[in-house]
Amino acid sequence: MQISVYSLKNTLFKDQAKSLTCNTSLGEITVLNNHEPLISDIKEGVIKIIDKDEKLKYIPVKEGFIEINSNNEIRCMVEER
Amino acid sequence: MESVQSIKTRLKSIHNIGQITKAMELVAATKMRKSQEIALAGRPYAFASLDLLAKISVQQIDLPPLLKKRKIEKTAFVIITSDKGLAGSFNSATIRKFEKYIKEENIDVKVEERIHALLHPSPSARVNEKYFFIAVGKKAQTYLSNKGLKITESFSRVGDFTLPEQTNQISDFISKGYLEKKWDEVVVFSTYFKSALKQEVLARKIFPIELSSIKKTIEELIPETGKFSEIRKEIKLEEKPADYLIEPSSKVLLSKLAWHLARMRFYHLILETNASEHAARRMAMKNASDNAAELSEDLTLFYNKSRQANITKEISEIVSSTLA
Repeated sequence: MQISVYSLKNTLFKDQAKSLTCNTSLGEITVLNNHEPLISDIKEGVIKIIDKDEKLKYIPVKEGFIEINSNNEIRCMVEER
Repeated sequence: MESVQSIKTRLKSIHNIGQITKAMELVAATKMRKSQEIALAGRPYAFASLDLLAKISVQQIDLPPLLKKRKIEKTAFVIITSDKGLAGSFNSATIRKFEKYIKEENIDVKVEERIHALLHPSPSARVNEKYFFIAVGKKAQTYLSNKGLKITESFSRVGDFTLPEQTNQISDFISKGYLEKKWDEVVVFSTYFKSALKQEVLARKIFPIELSSIKKTIEELIPETGKFSEIRKEIKLEEKPADYLIEPSSKVLLSKLAWHLARMRFYHLILETNASEHAARRMAMKNASDNAAELSEDLTLFYNKSRQANITKEISEIVSSTLA
C-alpha cells in the first residue's frame, strides 16, 4: 500500500510500505494492506512504518490525522514533534 | 566648481553604496527563492487537509464553531508586514490597503475610541470594543501605535523562513479569540505573491473558515508566472467520497481539523508575505544599484573633466610663468 506522511513543512514519508502503526484517540491501530476506509485522528506518539524492505521507520508526532481510502492509500497529516 | 578631491570622495561613497545594495539584492533574491520553496514543500499537507475537510464535512451537517458563521459584531484586523524596512513600498502598500479598506467600509476606528472614552472614563472599563488590531511584524506595530490605536496583540520576528511553531502562536491566539467570541470576523491584510515582479496586497476574511477560501489559498501557493508557476493547476476535490469509518466522531475530528486548517492558513499567509517582502526588497535594491551605477558614471565623467581642466590650468600657469 501507498503511505504518505505530510507535515506543514514538508513530506516526511512517501513510499510503498507494509504496515503503519499509530496512536489514535481510541487506541493504537495498525494498518495493513486493504484496510477499510477510515478517517481518524492521531495522538501524540510515534508513527511506526514497516516499509517494503521490512525496514522500520519511526516518525515522532504531536498530533494529526490519518485517512485511509478505498484505493489502498494512506495519508497522514501530522504535526512534527 | 567642486574640487577634484570632494568629487573623488563622493564617487567613492556612491560606489560603496552601490556595492551594498547589489549585495542586498542578491541576498533578497536567494531568500525569496527559499521562501517560495518552503511554501511549496508544505503544499501536499495543505492539499490533503483540505481534501479531508471536504470528506468529513459532507457527513457532518452541524459545523463546529470555527467553521460556523455568526452575526458579525466585532471585527479583528490582522496586519502582516515585515520587521525590517528597505523594501521599497512593500510595507506602506499594506498599510495603504488597510486605510483604504477602513474608508470603504466606513469604519471609524477613532470615533469608536472617543465615544468609549466618554462613556467609560477609566480605561479598564472599556470592555465593549468593536474593533481589534493585531500586528504581525514591527512595521505594523509602529504604524498602529503611531495612529493611536490600541494594539490587542503584536507578534514580531516571524520573518525569514518561518517555522510552523512560530506562526502557530499567532493562529492559536486568533482562533482562541474567535472561539471565545472576542471577535466574530477576522480580516487579514497581507501581501499576495503573484510573481517575483508583482505582489498585491489583499484583504482576506479568514474567520469563519470557509472551504472555498481555503481552496483559494492553496491555489495561490503557486505564483502566477515565473519559476514554479508550471505546477499551478486547479484543485479537484473528490466528488463522491467513499463511505468512511470516522473515529471517534466527525464532530470531534472536524473541530480539530478546523484548528489545524487555521494554523496552516496563517503559516502560508506569513510565508507568502515573507516571499513578497524579499521580492519587493530585491526590486528596490536593484533600482538603487542601477541608480548608483548611473550616478557614478556621470560623476566619473565630471571628475575626469575637472581633473583635466586642472591640468590644463596648471600647464598654462607654468607656460605663462616661464614666458614672463
